[in-house]
Amino acid sequence: MSSKENRKKNNNGSSFKEMLRRMFGLGPKHELSILEEEQMQSPMRTVLKNFFAKRLAIVGMVVFAIILLTCFIGSAVFPLDRNYQDATQQNIRPGFNFMSVPGALKNNASQIDAGSTFGAGIDNNGSLYLWGTLSNKLKAMPRGMGKIAQVSCGLDHILVLTEDNKLYTWGYDRLNLDKIPEEAQDADIVQIEAGHQISVALDSEGRVYIWGNQNIISISPGKYQGTIEKITLNTTTALAVTRDGQVVCMTNKETPFNAIPDEVQGKAVDVVSTDKTAAAVTEDGYIYLWGSFPYNEDKIPEGVQGNVKQLVAGRGHFTALLKDGTVVSWGQNNHGQANAPALKNIEKVFTNYYQNYAVDSNGNVYTWGLKGYLFGTDQYGRDVFRRLLTGGRITLTIGAISVIISGILGIIIGGFSGYYGGKVDMILMRAAEIVGGLPFLPLAMILSYLIGNKIPETGRIFMIMMILGVLSWPGIARLVRAQMLSAREQEFVTAAKALGIKEVKIIFRHILPNVITVALVNLTLSFATSMLTESSLSFLGFGVTEPSPTWGNMLTASISTTVLQDYWWRWVFPALFLSIATICINVVGDALRDAVDPKAGER
Amino acid sequence: MMLEGSRETMDPELYDRMYQDMREQLGLDKPIYVQYFSWMSNLLRGEFGVSSVYKQKVINVIKTPMMSTIRLNIVSLVIVFLITIPLGIATAVRKGSVFDNVVQVLTIIGYSLPGFIIAILFIFVFAVKLRLFPISGVSTPGVELTGWAYHLDRAYYMVLPITVMVFSSLAGIVRYVRATMIDTLTMDYIRTARAKGLREKVVIYSHAFRNAMIPFMTILISWFVSIFSGSVVIENIFLYNGMGRIMFQSLMQQDFMVVLAMQMFYVILSLTGYLIMDLAYVLVDPRVKLS
Repeated sequence: MSSKENRKKNNNGSSFKEMLRRMFGLGPKHELSILEEEQMQSPMRTVLKNFFAKRLAIVGMVVFAIILLTCFIGSAVFPLDRNYQDATQQNIRPGFNFMSVPGALKNNASQIDAGSTFGAGIDNNGSLYLWGTLSNKLKAMPRGMGKIAQVSCGLDHILVLTEDNKLYTWGYDRLNLDKIPEEAQDADIVQIEAGHQISVALDSEGRVYIWGNQNIISISPGKYQGTIEKITLNTTTALAVTRDGQVVCMTNKETPFNAIPDEVQGKAVDVVSTDKTAAAVTEDGYIYLWGSFPYNEDKIPEGVQGNVKQLVAGRGHFTALLKDGTVVSWGQNNHGQANAPALKNIEKVFTNYYQNYAVDSNGNVYTWGLKGYLFGTDQYGRDVFRRLLTGGRITLTIGAISVIISGILGIIIGGFSGYYGGKVDMILMRAAEIVGGLPFLPLAMILSYLIGNKIPETGRIFMIMMILGVLSWPGIARLVRAQMLSAREQEFVTAAKALGIKEVKIIFRHILPNVITVALVNLTLSFATSMLTESSLSFLGFGVTEPSPTWGNMLTASISTTVLQDYWWRWVFPALFLSIATICINVVGDALRDAVDPKAGER
Repeated sequence: MMLEGSRETMDPELYDRMYQDMREQLGLDKPIYVQYFSWMSNLLRGEFGVSSVYKQKVINVIKTPMMSTIRLNIVSLVIVFLITIPLGIATAVRKGSVFDNVVQVLTIIGYSLPGFIIAILFIFVFAVKLRLFPISGVSTPGVELTGWAYHLDRAYYMVLPITVMVFSSLAGIVRYVRATMIDTLTMDYIRTARAKGLREKVVIYSHAFRNAMIPFMTILISWFVSIFSGSVVIENIFLYNGMGRIMFQSLMQQDFMVVLAMQMFYVILSLTGYLIMDLAYVLVDPRVKLS
């Protein structure tokens, strides 16, 4: 039995050395003699040796390191705009299928349009293809439509025009969106547009038919009814080009789109618009912009003016097809929608929302822009993956800094208390009992509420660190005190005293290094605890609050049947990351504690 | 809406004078520590003040929730003990076995998971997927029940919160029981007892367990105090009308009289807890004498 164990231990030792040598390039390079083997080891080395003998602990450490690095590097690579919201991208399931054009359409495309999270395309034979993240209503395509001539995608509905001049619509069906006007069905439709809960059709006589939700977008053709050549929709209104090349804004309200530049009037051939900017193209290929320019839409790249063959617009970006068959994109670029690849021989470009499609002369389809979200989006259309990274950074930082605060407080108080004893000890330990005895969560809630209301939202992160740190020092103080009590009786302390070294120096320079390992190990374990406490507080709404993410407050909205059942990605990922991180820290902490305390290893 | 004496209709000077008079009458003009001491002296006379939201005495506001919370916590305490002590002893006796290792790993996972994640998982499995238990609440709304039916209904709504509370406290305590049992089993008197030829059951349950109880008492009380603060999260998830829920709502509605009384309850609870702990030492360990 004992020989077996010895062999096992030896094996462990040598494999440990092997590992150290491989991992850090440390350790002995030559075989040791028995005398050298029996030599004393520094306590730190023993601890490390014991620790690395545990496979589970190493796995835990590696996983935690990966999470830590992912959160810190990831949140730098994918920066989070905390106040960003997007009503068109709410509760989207994870996936990258927004632009996965079906194979049958890939070299045979005649027209394509993009919806908020999906796409629709027609091939040269007039058959319709749908792809992307589709709701059940969108999947319910009407049967027997025949050959399709045109397709247009809105926020959550699709409008098609067949070759025998029939209109079909499906998808979101409230707000009269499914009720195509009778006159439109009878008319000779030449253009269809589906927008934000609204649909528009234009007939060959220049008449516009509008149906859907007109509360958000107000469109009134007014005196231009009957003269319209081409129409475009955005989230504010509709703009149109008339037969005589005039650009008109179809609204009675004051909007930035009313300020149409005079230069384009009479020579405009096309008008397109993003949410904030409108653009008209003239016969000679020049672009004129008006509206507002939140994403530098007015910085048209060089070589575009005078060469524009076709111009299309997404929610915040423009894509232009030039006369030489290349494409250029500019404007908002949060999903890479303005990163147009270098393409040649392009015949048509299609853009909407954040997706771009380009079709070349052979009918091949090229795409760029938003493909989807790795971990889906939440109720405000925010990318869960980005929030998870930044939230992880905040959670881990709060945990670490509050542990450092409580560690410093605990070591100082415990050190003084243990070294001096007597009255100092009495007072400090009673204080520790009072602070440690109070139920933690209610007190933290009250403190967070009282202080938190007086400071800005970003200051709350700092406040939570302070609250957690200041309330959780007693444990570590008691531990350091107990270690201090036994250490102060030892000879080296007496020697230091005899040499006349200052007492503060004795405590922190002579005794503390001897007891610090135990304290550090316990701090590892309380790192996990303070992460959990922070998460619980944030979960309840008393910690870090929206819009700053933490793993705790990302879960706040998930206590509802709808979210739990239908939007699983909103709670599974934060819960998973938080759990894995704390499990890893606890595994590492446990192993460290066993390594420091040889007696504990027997357990 | 008050018609007479509102700020808009009154003479500003008169309003201001009345406002100051009222402040004086209520003692709001005094410094904060004086106010605190007067609140404390009222408290000692059993006066907790009046809730500004419920327009009732605080004591009446918190009576029912307090009973709910205490019931919730006592039930989960009993269940936790019925599970942890046998499990802890079993793992300690079979130290190093597969069973022990599995329990060890499970408990590390158990105490690393925050209560609200366990709650979300349980709600997802038992309330959303299997539809066995209600998602939240204290009792079936809109139904007047009496006698057994009433208690059964209450118990039905308590199942999920209690399961979550038991699960989130199980792991830590099993580990603790196991550790103290292992410590005790290495003692000399255990070897003596075994050498005498006593049956293993007697050794474990009579000799070892009674001694392991002593450190165990410490964790018991501090854990009982901590589940009261831990149930703040659970009660808010399950919308269980307990103290944690009332405390949360009162904070949100700035009903500070209730919050103060609540905090006072938690402090008293923990102080009594520590007192009981000291007394329990004497009961469990005859070697300890109160001096």
